[in-house]
Amino acid sequence: MSRPGFVLEVDERTPPLLFHNGEGFRLERLPLGSRVVYPPESLPGIKDVDAAIDHALDHPQGSEPLTALLTRGMKLTIAIDDISIPLPQMKTPDIRGRILEHVLERAARAGVDDVEIIIATALHRRMTAAEVKRAVGERVYRSFWPHALYNFDAEDPDALIHVGKTEMGEDVEISKRAATSDLLVYVNINLVAMDGGHKSVPVGLASYKSLKHHHNVHTMLHSRSYMDPPASALHSSATRMGHLLAEHVKIFTIETTLNNDTFGPPFDFLMRREWEWSAKDQAAYLATKASTDRAPAHLKRSIFHKIYSPYGITGINAGETEAVHTRTLANLHRQQLVEVNGQSDILIAGLPFVGPYNVNSIMNPILVVCLGLGYFFNLYRNQPLVRPGGVMIMFHPVRREFHQVHHPSYVDFFEEVLAETTDPAVIESKYEESFATDPWYIHLYRTSHAYHGVHPFYMWYWASHAMQHLGDVIFVGGDRKTVARLGFRSAGTLADALEMASETVGRTPRITALKVPPLLLADVR
Amino acid sequence: MGIADDVRQVARGWRWTRRPLVPASVERELTAPHDFPTSWIRTPLGKAAREVAQRWALGPVLNYEVDVEITGADILKPLKPPVIFVLNHSSHLDAATIVTSLPTEWRRKAAVGAAADYFFDVWYRSVATTLFFNAFPIARGGGLRSARLARKLLADGWSLVLFPEGTRTKDGWIGQFRTGAAWLAIEAGVPVVPVALTGTYQAMPRGRSWPKPGRPPVGVRFGTPIWAEDGERPQSFSDRLRLGLGAVIEEDRTGWWQTLRAGAEGELLDPGGPQVAQWRRMWEGSRPARRSHARSVWEPEKDEWSHEAPWSAGELLAGGFPGEGPEAFDAGDDEEP
Repeated sequence: MSRPGFVLEVDERTPPLLFHNGEGFRLERLPLGSRVVYPPESLPGIKDVDAAIDHALDHPQGSEPLTALLTRGMKLTIAIDDISIPLPQMKTPDIRGRILEHVLERAARAGVDDVEIIIATALHRRMTAAEVKRAVGERVYRSFWPHALYNFDAEDPDALIHVGKTEMGEDVEISKRAATSDLLVYVNINLVAMDGGHKSVPVGLASYKSLKHHHNVHTMLHSRSYMDPPASALHSSATRMGHLLAEHVKIFTIETTLNNDTFGPPFDFLMRREWEWSAKDQAAYLATKASTDRAPAHLKRSIFHKIYSPYGITGINAGETEAVHTRTLANLHRQQLVEVNGQSDILIAGLPFVGPYNVNSIMNPILVVCLGLGYFFNLYRNQPLVRPGGVMIMFHPVRREFHQVHHPSYVDFFEEVLAETTDPAVIESKYEESFATDPWYIHLYRTSHAYHGVHPFYMWYWASHAMQHLGDVIFVGGDRKTVARLGFRSAGTLADALEMASETVGRTPRITALKVPPLLLADVR
Repeated sequence: MGIADDVRQVARGWRWTRRPLVPASVERELTAPHDFPTSWIRTPLGKAAREVAQRWALGPVLNYEVDVEITGADILKPLKPPVIFVLNHSSHLDAATIVTSLPTEWRRKAAVGAAADYFFDVWYRSVATTLFFNAFPIARGGGLRSARLARKLLADGWSLVLFPEGTRTKDGWIGQFRTGAAWLAIEAGVPVVPVALTGTYQAMPRGRSWPKPGRPPVGVRFGTPIWAEDGERPQSFSDRLRLGLGAVIEEDRTGWWQTLRAGAEGELLDPGGPQVAQWRRMWEGSRPARRSHARSVWEPEKDEWSHEAPWSAGELLAGGFPGEGPEAFDAGDDEEP
């Protein structure tokens, strides 16, 4: 039986609590009375996944069964989510590959010859052949790669089509192949409430021209939070685009949700509540801590990015996008929602080694900000966990290191843009266009494995709501110069950070800490 | 921080030499499900192992550490198993004391209900608890799983040893009863035998992991079986069981006749003790137990365990402890009554 999420109140009997700290961990004793929000324990996964996929495809929501939509001579395009989810990567077989096999099996039986599979990368880096093979499975990979299974290219003018404008004047420009297909099937993994629904096709297969309508500071400041689609301007914009697209192309959405089985052995101690740690868990922690404290960063990264999660599948739904997404969100909330009473003055979180944009890569300082102030801060519904003007304290070393292949524009963003200003609005108006249209970044995006030139800007905008909301941001253990460049402050220990925070929130703050991962969504009453 | 610091932090955080603590806010929530299997101890091989553990290990050690006096076991003679023994709970000595005090034929067919979250939290404690006490896990928050197992044991002819308070007393007096024991007795139609344990609180109170030195006296007194009346609700029956157990304790303290008289006069002390300041309840509850038997010739004339409470039930009911003057701090009368 999986236990629901839980809010711990720290007392004298509470052991030290574990927090992620980049490619490492730390135990911290929080002040008495602090609240710690624990995610719900893992729901049981579906036992027969293949049967569940069959059932979803044959009994879809608000649509004919997939088999009825497949006809000889048709043009079929399948798009799948890229490597940015799930986090960490899931153990093989990846659910995307399993679903693809079921879809393709039906397409083969229906005599569909014209099939293409697109990795919906938008402006993310192109996945490598090995990464694609891992996601789609050997059978699909061997049958389609590289000509009919490929990464989306948002900078190929011949591969894009301008579908039209929404009632709000937003350009909808997406993959031509997808938009001109008789049927577009989208296979998604819904890791958080932000994913899926109309955020799949209009975002994952869109160009910069289309994306800039919702990936901007104004939209982000009006998304409270973007983990709560009804309250998110980002999702409103994507929904408008989705409605326009639905008039032009038949979209069959397949969405999946995962349980909270994030870490398997030997890291399963990360999943346990500390007061239930066995001697084995304590030994595993000590061994991991001793290793991570001493190992060089590149070795730790290579080890950590080999952590594959033994996720179970909690739901597979297919059919019309909105009908499917309603069920998906319900499934997701079943696994992730935790009720929390009221806001606090300080929010504490330990940032892990991986975020959506550094899988098999390096979490550079801008991605640290995106993960902490973008994603972790926004893991709420109704109202943020921390009050306006409050403080967010995060554990992360914030090293000044960049993956030169994956994040070339990030280096320049850090060195040139952040040296000038950290204000998202100023950054957007002054620098975004030049980075977005820089031919060298475009070349690297299209031919190498680089994120698009504009991507670091989006990461910064992602944090704009938190930056506007918070009075102070402190990184415990963060490299001082790097953190200062980001516009924040660094502290050596949690005690120092709380001391620094007292300038903003006083000497007796209410403190809430997030125990993430595994993921949770705080329903703040 | 070096490795040594990390080890020290973990050792302190999880109290390596002691049982780890659980935050109070966690105790209010659902505890983890406990699935430790205990049926193996009731197989022929398990019974043999338990016999050895109880008879040749637990019994001798207990008798070496404390001086157990058993009274009233003859009330069991007319009874047929299964029955439910309900006991007051003040010490970790209690389970060992009752298990080694039951007549052999009853001991061999008795299973002890133990708190799942405390005795079945780790495998080695679960194994030891099961082996020595023929224990089965009980979820303190209630729950069908515990009830199902207890029902099955009763149906299979096992007598149950239950501590309806659900936890050890903090001050030596009896706490509120949970209704599980009453509910089981009503459902199975079995009698309940109240058993008063005295002296265990003084011998090994909360916080101690071994009895005090000097073989402190411990008393086990069996009371008259209590049956549920037709249609009686568990809560009402549970209240009667609590009063019944209180009467057995009172009988141990003052005597059989005196308890009968006090009962007739409505002067029986509430087993929960007088409603006075907590420290005074603690003070009285922790008063060293007296020996009820005659002094052996080789015992010293001045017996450190012979401090008798200088008050009566009636006086306590009157709202406080008498003798509150300086004489209350005297050593008291050392002579046996």
